[in-house]
Amino acid sequence: MTSLVSAAEILARRILVIDDEEPNVLLLASVLEREGYRDIHCVTDPKKALDAYVSLAPDIVLLDLMMPEVDGFQLLEAFKRHDRADEFRPVLVLTADATLQARRRALAVGAKDFVVKPFDVIEVALRISNLLETRILYQRLRA
Amino acid sequence: MARGRANPLNRFWADRPLALKGLVVVALPLGILIGALVLLYFASVAESRAEDDVRRAFAIQRDTYQVHALLAEAAAGARGYALTGQERFLEPYRKAEASLPQTMVRLDGEIRDPEVRQRFERIRGLTTRKREGLARIVELSQGGASNSALIGEALSANKVVLDAMRAEIDAIQQRENVLLNQRRERVEQVRDRYLMLTAISAVVGLLGSLAAVYLFSTGIVRRVRTLEDNAERLAEGEALLPHADDADEIGRLAHRLARASALLRGREQALRESEERFRLVIDGVRDYGIFTLDSDGVVTSWNPGAERIKGWQAQEILGHHFSRFYPDETRGFLPTAMLDRARQNGTAEDEGWRVRKDGSLFWANVVITALRDENGALRGFAKITRDMTERRRSEEALRVAREEAIAASLAKSEFLSRTSHELRTPMSAILGFGQLLELDEEQFGEQHRAAITQIMKAGRHLLSLINDLLDISSIEAGGTQLSIEPLDMGEVLGEVHGLAAPIVASAGLKFELDAPAKKLVAHADRRRVIQVMLNLIANAAKYHGSGTCVRLKCRSDGAAIRIEVEDDGDGVDPAAVSRLFTPFDRLGQQNRTRLEGTGLGLALSQKLVESMGGAIGYSAPARGARFWFTIPAFAKPRRAAETAAETAPHSIVDPA
Repeated sequence: MTSLVSAAEILARRILVIDDEEPNVLLLASVLEREGYRDIHCVTDPKKALDAYVSLAPDIVLLDLMMPEVDGFQLLEAFKRHDRADEFRPVLVLTADATLQARRRALAVGAKDFVVKPFDVIEVALRISNLLETRILYQRLRA
Repeated sequence: MARGRANPLNRFWADRPLALKGLVVVALPLGILIGALVLLYFASVAESRAEDDVRRAFAIQRDTYQVHALLAEAAAGARGYALTGQERFLEPYRKAEASLPQTMVRLDGEIRDPEVRQRFERIRGLTTRKREGLARIVELSQGGASNSALIGEALSANKVVLDAMRAEIDAIQQRENVLLNQRRERVEQVRDRYLMLTAISAVVGLLGSLAAVYLFSTGIVRRVRTLEDNAERLAEGEALLPHADDADEIGRLAHRLARASALLRGREQALRESEERFRLVIDGVRDYGIFTLDSDGVVTSWNPGAERIKGWQAQEILGHHFSRFYPDETRGFLPTAMLDRARQNGTAEDEGWRVRKDGSLFWANVVITALRDENGALRGFAKITRDMTERRRSEEALRVAREEAIAASLAKSEFLSRTSHELRTPMSAILGFGQLLELDEEQFGEQHRAAITQIMKAGRHLLSLINDLLDISSIEAGGTQLSIEPLDMGEVLGEVHGLAAPIVASAGLKFELDAPAKKLVAHADRRRVIQVMLNLIANAAKYHGSGTCVRLKCRSDGAAIRIEVEDDGDGVDPAAVSRLFTPFDRLGQQNRTRLEGTGLGLALSQKLVESMGGAIGYSAPARGARFWFTIPAFAKPRRAAETAAETAPHSIVDPA
């Protein structure tokens, strides 16, 4: 894959993982570390997710939809409210809910991509790097 | 009906029309009167003839005297002439000669009596002799005195003739006198007889007509009175008096009256029977309370069904207002409202609680119908009440059971869905980490690599199990959204062939595709159709046993498209065919460790096919196994006739 964006530039980006299930967070972190990402932040308490989002200002968010108390949809709405309109900060939704309705709803409220659990780790890694590449290109265009 | 009318004449007379009877009654005295007049006429004719006879008798007497007188004067004249020779004595002679022939002819015409006629003939002879004698005297006298002796002789002879004639004439006169007396007597007799007859006939005619009119009118009056009586009886509805079945107008009227009465009685009878039947039906109905109300709502009739349902006896409730059937909560307004509705719409229906005599409540279905006469005036109401308490109870129980069943089904689906979701989440971690290990397997030894492979294999199997469960529960909960569209089966089969080829090949089988010769278009969900085909092919690849090939077929089957997946392996144990589509009922449990599969594939396929309006089944070919399913063909009118010819009956499980 010859790319406009170098692999090092992508791997340097900050990733925020939000999932209430510890093993899933660990899995994603493992996948990302294996890929070479270094700036990885994980939140397992969905109530702290928005604070982390605001304080860390990640380049990409990996978000679980089904969580207790504050679910993914609510967070997606909150992120959208927080961000400026011209900001491109991709959210990749990961969920065990494979229904069409869940997919449509998530994409409608701002998710940029959608992966059903259990997922193929290589596919997830590829989607993450693609989204980050898009963000980097977008930022370059705006700069 | 008929009094003994043996006499055929009476019979005949009674049957004549009134006009004829009237005519006869009027004509009879009239005829008698006319007869009397005719008799009177004959009497006068006879009298005039008798008078004629009298007149003629007098004429005959006169004429005979005249003949004698003329001849006597002529003789005297002739004698005088003979003695004196003076012409003037011949005057009577000449006069006699002139008028005698006329008188004789007149006499001849008038004489009828034979005796008179006889004497007349003698007179005629004597007259001729006398005239000849006189003519001789006159002739001799003209000869002068020389003939005086002859004249004297002639004169004396002449005298004898006249005397003889005189005797004859006297005899005639005498005879005529006798005849005249006889005729006078006869005339008197005839006149008396005719007068008597006339008087008698007049009296008889008068009496007869009076009697006829009397009888006629009294007869009619009597019969008309009977008729009047019968009409009165008809009006009162009583039986009619017997009447004579005469064929005249009154008879016919009586007959019609009798017929009307019979008709009326027949109708009354029919009405009574109908009412009786109706009453029996109403009384026989036990399950419905049927009763009537007057226009104010007061109960006017009560059937045993009403008694059974509501508890009141007829005598307890008749005359009471029907609002007492309503419980306190509705008594104030509902009865009035129901009557108003029935008055306006003709009928009013309601379902609700009503009160029995003992105060207990029952759930009633009530229909109130307004009863109107032919002029549309309200006559009251009919009310039909049915005790629906039992039905309401069972309906309620049914409703609760149904709701519970639905809730249970929903809970089950929700549970399955939830469970699947909860299972997928840890599966995500297991398979994800497993995959990471697989990716880095060169770091591990042989033994660990084998363990990682086993973990992944079991994990994927578990995942497919969870996926199938999720699918089934989703279909059962009605949550699966199908995307039904026209499908070109050739294209679909090609795609399936491509997808399934590696599975079939890895099982060591040949894969044959019998693509349809012509274009077939189905109407179904593409993804689901492919899913079912792949499932069946995967089953064939897994369970064929000793087979060598798998064949995928597709053809038109009436309004459906039929897809078959066939192998030439060991086939399905006939005893197990009935359990093929049961979830988790994997055939050949002993092989479980060796063979993969969730045991949900066929059950899921069945649900998918049925949700698309098709059917799925198994049939045993000569060798191997054949699974088939149908999906609706895309309805294109111009293809319908073409495909109908290929229709073949099918069942879910064909016996081998």
